[in-house]
Amino acid sequence: MLGYVSWRDVLKKLTLAVTMQRPVSSLPLSPGMKLKLVGAGFQSTADLILLKPLQLSKETGLSQQEALEVLQAVRKDGGGGEGSTSLTALELLQKEEETRSIITFSSQLDAALGGGLPVGKTTEICGAPGVGKTQLCLQLAVDVQVPQCFGGVGGQVIYIDTEGSFLLQRVIDVATAAVRHCSLLVEDDEQRAAMMTFTMETILSNIFLVRCHDYVELLAELHLLPDFLSDHPRTRLLVIDSVAFPFRRFDDLSQRTRLLQGLAQQLVAMATRHQVAVVITNQMTTRLQGNQSQLVPALGEGWGHAPTIRLLLQWAGSRRLASIFKSPGNVDATVQYRITSDGFRDADQSEQPQRKRPRTQTDQSASSQPDRRLLRCLSDV
Amino acid sequence: MATRILRRTGVSNEICERLKRREIESCKDLLSLTPVEVMNAAGLSYEKASVLLQSVSKAIAPPFTTALELWKQHSDSCFSTSLPALDKLLRGGLPRGTITEVTGPSGCGKTQMCLMLSVLATLPKSEGGLDSSVIYIDTESAFSAERLVEIARSRFPGYFSSKERVLQMAARVHLFRELTCQDVLNRLERLEEDIISTGAGLIILDSVASVVRKEFDTTLPGNLIHRSNLLSHEATTLKYLAHQFNIPVVLTNQITTHVGDQGSAVSAEVDSSFVTAALGNTWSHSVNTRLIVQYVDAHQRQILIAKSPVAPFAVLNYTIQKQGICIDEKRRDTLGWKQISSHSESGSL
Repeated sequence: MLGYVSWRDVLKKLTLAVTMQRPVSSLPLSPGMKLKLVGAGFQSTADLILLKPLQLSKETGLSQQEALEVLQAVRKDGGGGEGSTSLTALELLQKEEETRSIITFSSQLDAALGGGLPVGKTTEICGAPGVGKTQLCLQLAVDVQVPQCFGGVGGQVIYIDTEGSFLLQRVIDVATAAVRHCSLLVEDDEQRAAMMTFTMETILSNIFLVRCHDYVELLAELHLLPDFLSDHPRTRLLVIDSVAFPFRRFDDLSQRTRLLQGLAQQLVAMATRHQVAVVITNQMTTRLQGNQSQLVPALGEGWGHAPTIRLLLQWAGSRRLASIFKSPGNVDATVQYRITSDGFRDADQSEQPQRKRPRTQTDQSASSQPDRRLLRCLSDV
Repeated sequence: MATRILRRTGVSNEICERLKRREIESCKDLLSLTPVEVMNAAGLSYEKASVLLQSVSKAIAPPFTTALELWKQHSDSCFSTSLPALDKLLRGGLPRGTITEVTGPSGCGKTQMCLMLSVLATLPKSEGGLDSSVIYIDTESAFSAERLVEIARSRFPGYFSSKERVLQMAARVHLFRELTCQDVLNRLERLEEDIISTGAGLIILDSVASVVRKEFDTTLPGNLIHRSNLLSHEATTLKYLAHQFNIPVVLTNQITTHVGDQGSAVSAEVDSSFVTAALGNTWSHSVNTRLIVQYVDAHQRQILIAKSPVAPFAVLNYTIQKQGICIDEKRRDTLGWKQISSHSESGSL
């Protein structure tokens, strides 16, 4: 009769029913409706709690709209709304325009991503050893702190290091270069004032660092992160470098899959609830197909579903390429980048300040043909 | 740590007993379960199970720090190699708390580098050393005490002028000979105690590859995964030790020839075969810094910085002399892209 209702909903409603019982006559409804309700035998709100609109309208003779109104009034009185309300795409569009992206300091990559790495979504960066995954993470940890008047997000960052690749000297270089870059762009008083809080020391103080040695410490840390994020509401970036290393040697693969899926869900929940960009790095593993071996992202095929955006960093001869191979909002694209002493940058020779360069479409001449076979095989993963 | 027993984290005895009946005794066991499994095993409601997970997580999660605090604490975060050109590129030297790999063909100078670093580590801080002992795990029986003394005497003649100092230095290098994979693993598991008792400031493992390649034939099914697991285990243990004691770890590796084929993602311009570091792709992820040594001719050799979080790709020329490695400061070769691709495209077995 009730239809399918989850046991938690029932529990919640019964709790409400017990604690808050009011006579139907006290509800803010029109007298005609109240008369019909009482006439059908509903005396107090407790009787109405577990009903659905269609059933109510049949029993009382109210129209469907009226029945819905009655139940909404009852629920409002009850104090607890139902779990999550839905959004329309229009509201989401407005929200997404307000949400900023974290720039990478490579204008081509930012353009391909539609502005940068989106806050509120999870992004995976995978690639061969030494190609620049950690470099990009360090760059992002500095970029997230760029003040809002310069086009940045002005947030803090949590950096979970599982490999020991967070080298302080490198962060100092990248931070110093970013400060120098922004100070060249100062145009007005607001930006001048912002530069007072954007110094190398403040940048370092806004990076919260934790070193996890195995997957249990990582899982424990993730359990505690929601509280940390609530205590530090300015956090806009969470980096896990890398999520693959602690999970590489696992005897029980089905347990690993389970744990990874739980982990992925937690990350997605944290990203949306606390409005942080979650960036995870993944390693590559060798997959044998007959006699040939290929490098594919590690952690199995199921893991590919978890992140919203997937970036692949790879070599093509002596050039470094960044390919977007999963993104709901952008076209799959490949751009070239390089790692300089200042950090992650475009492959162009000239070092033009970011803001002054007009945003163009992804530059076709600079991007190269990625290895089609590798990308195709990744999309099968 | 993850193996911490639940009872000692403040979980009530009653819950501990219930969990023990399901063979859940350590924090690792508990955190590997999903929330529903925890509710089931402990007989708790969802809220109470969440609270339990939170408190156990708090007990074992490592603490947060900020990069600023790190900066203030570590005044010396590098181990100088006494080769100024190399130190300059590496921004100070081999970074502490990380794994540095030296790889290359046989006879190129890897063991010489290890011996030289051993001498350096025992020097007092005023001479640029770490003033500590060295743990040297030798799997190839390549360690030569006489060569160690020769390097010490030739490189630092002023300091090692008296026999006493030489003997003192030699007494600080602790040699462990391990000839099988299992022996190496066992030694690494017990290494914590050795580090504390000897006051070690440097760990050297020469070489990782020889024992592994002897025992694992990767053409046999299953061996590749088994080998990867073993190496990941070694890497995790070494990283943990390096980080906890804030000391550098140096390993040596061998090279292997990778024959390019249809399946590899190499562009057509590269030669169809090239050398790359052995032990595969997973191992390449595990090391933090990779230095490749290679021959130019009979005497001249080169050292390449192939993977480093702080240094760009660079080549330095060196020769091996009585006093160990000598960098040729004047010659600086430009790095050909062939050399870069040779180490980056690793998918080799």
